[in-house]
Amino acid sequence: MRWSARRAGDSTRRKEARSGLYLAAPAVLVVAAVYVIPAVATLTLSVTKFKLAPLGIEGFVGLRHYIDAMTSAAFWSVTLRTLYIGVMMIVLTFVISFPIALLLNRSFRGRTFVMVIVLLPWAVPPVVSGVLWGQMFQAEFGFVNGLLRLFGGSGDILWLGRPFLAIHVVLIAEVWRWIPFATLFLLAGLKTIPVSLREAAEVDGAGLWTIFRHVTLPMMSPVIVPVVVFLFVVSMKVFDTIFVLTRGGPSGKTTTLNYRVFQEAFVLFDFSSASATAYLLSAFTIITIGGLRMVRHRASQVSIRERQ
Amino acid sequence: MSSVGRGRILPRVLTYLGAAIVIVVMGFPLYGIVLISIQEETDIRSRDVQFVPTYVEIENYQAVLAADGAVPVREGMVNSLVVSLAATFTAVAIALPASYGLTRLRPPGSRFILGALGSVYVFPTLLFVVPIFVVWAQIGLFDTYLGLIIPYVAFLLPFLIWSFGGFLRSVPLEVEEAARVDGASLFQLLTKIVIPMLRPGIFAALLLGFILSWVEFLTPLLFTSELTLLTVALGLFRSTIDIKIGQLAAAAVVTALPVIVLTVVFQSQIAHAIAPDTNT
Repeated sequence: MRWSARRAGDSTRRKEARSGLYLAAPAVLVVAAVYVIPAVATLTLSVTKFKLAPLGIEGFVGLRHYIDAMTSAAFWSVTLRTLYIGVMMIVLTFVISFPIALLLNRSFRGRTFVMVIVLLPWAVPPVVSGVLWGQMFQAEFGFVNGLLRLFGGSGDILWLGRPFLAIHVVLIAEVWRWIPFATLFLLAGLKTIPVSLREAAEVDGAGLWTIFRHVTLPMMSPVIVPVVVFLFVVSMKVFDTIFVLTRGGPSGKTTTLNYRVFQEAFVLFDFSSASATAYLLSAFTIITIGGLRMVRHRASQVSIRERQ
Repeated sequence: MSSVGRGRILPRVLTYLGAAIVIVVMGFPLYGIVLISIQEETDIRSRDVQFVPTYVEIENYQAVLAADGAVPVREGMVNSLVVSLAATFTAVAIALPASYGLTRLRPPGSRFILGALGSVYVFPTLLFVVPIFVVWAQIGLFDTYLGLIIPYVAFLLPFLIWSFGGFLRSVPLEVEEAARVDGASLFQLLTKIVIPMLRPGIFAALLLGFILSWVEFLTPLLFTSELTLLTVALGLFRSTIDIKIGQLAAAAVVTALPVIVLTVVFQSQIAHAIAPDTNT
């Protein structure tokens, strides 16, 4: 019935559809003003020589800023570090969130309380979480060293003073912050798996691991890929945590590309270099997401072939 | 659900063991900061780290909430409240019709527009910040409420449009069709039918928008100058130098408290808005 009504009023339908654009116009305009126009301006800055006082553009320099950025001393080590943080964040967040989602998918007394505790880090302002982890890993009177002392260690580790340790403290703080999101999405995915499927596998005598590997994981792939992409994107944009915990130090060893953009723009006031670096970071992000999508496409084709 | 039978005690033990581990690991940092905030400075700075409170000292909270406290928590709270509320209500008012227009009426190009809106999150925020920073300084929006609210609104819009889209899909089309047959205008349709039906979605959107604005850090860091306009998240940071740790901890607790209370009270709505079908 609905279809026939649709056919009958085809032209009014189209008119109505077009009014959808008017409804969306304010939102599109605001986003364009705050995101798209500045992005174009940044692109312009990245290929020109820019002066702050008096404000103006002095001339076109082509890809100079990009080449300068990519050939500068620390660029590739900063890039590698950024990618390391991205990969580690995905792996660690998954390794922790998946069991939590499996746990929350069961019904037990106190489940709501666990759910609230898992959700909380998300509601904690990143600055507060920075202060929090700063205290946890404080060398002299922090909880982690205190715990080590309790178990007989010397407990004098300079967590934020050594590059290798500091980068992992940043990672821990970031993983803690994004576990709520990952867990919620994985839980939503788990809910889509019919109980009958699990039960059938159990009847067939499948163990917990077999069920996880051959029922849960394959059924979850539509959720897993978006979560991986999401985590990768936020990991490329880590800022607050580094800013509060380490300021990119010690000796620049926790600086990521995004933090470098901030330093170039608002410490050195070199807006052109900052713009070029920001676009290079965007390019890395987009290329990686494209890669992930291809992997997903392959994987789905392989699984189809397996099933046949 | 799956296993409460008699011979299945082990899974239950494992479930509660797992729950205990999750609570300790995820909750300890928050517990730790609360613990610090109720201790005296000498005990905080002792190598003998306390893991259980032996007393409750509220002096840190008094110092932080005092009018001339070292951490400008009071001003920060007021500023955050003004900016977050204004940004959230504006964003919801713009996002709701936009979401309806794009996901329900499906005009030509709606898929592209939705995709483009979502893709802004992929780019680093700093990519957009420099030009805005320059323009704000020129037209006098630097250090003003409006100068903060505009970027907040733009930041919330794609997320809210996507979130409303999820809620809209779960609402049956029939009622709208019937109203349309009765000759309702688009405006009537929105105000009389869609908004009342979407009430839970609107509430969740307001909640999430407020929380996301409250915790925002980079925007006020760049678009405001020292102490004249300070949101809580920022106030906390700008005062980290030369301050007692206990007071910093107390300020951190006070800063996080409003959003934590909201999360605890409305956890199922929040969970549902972030990941539909969670059914908590």
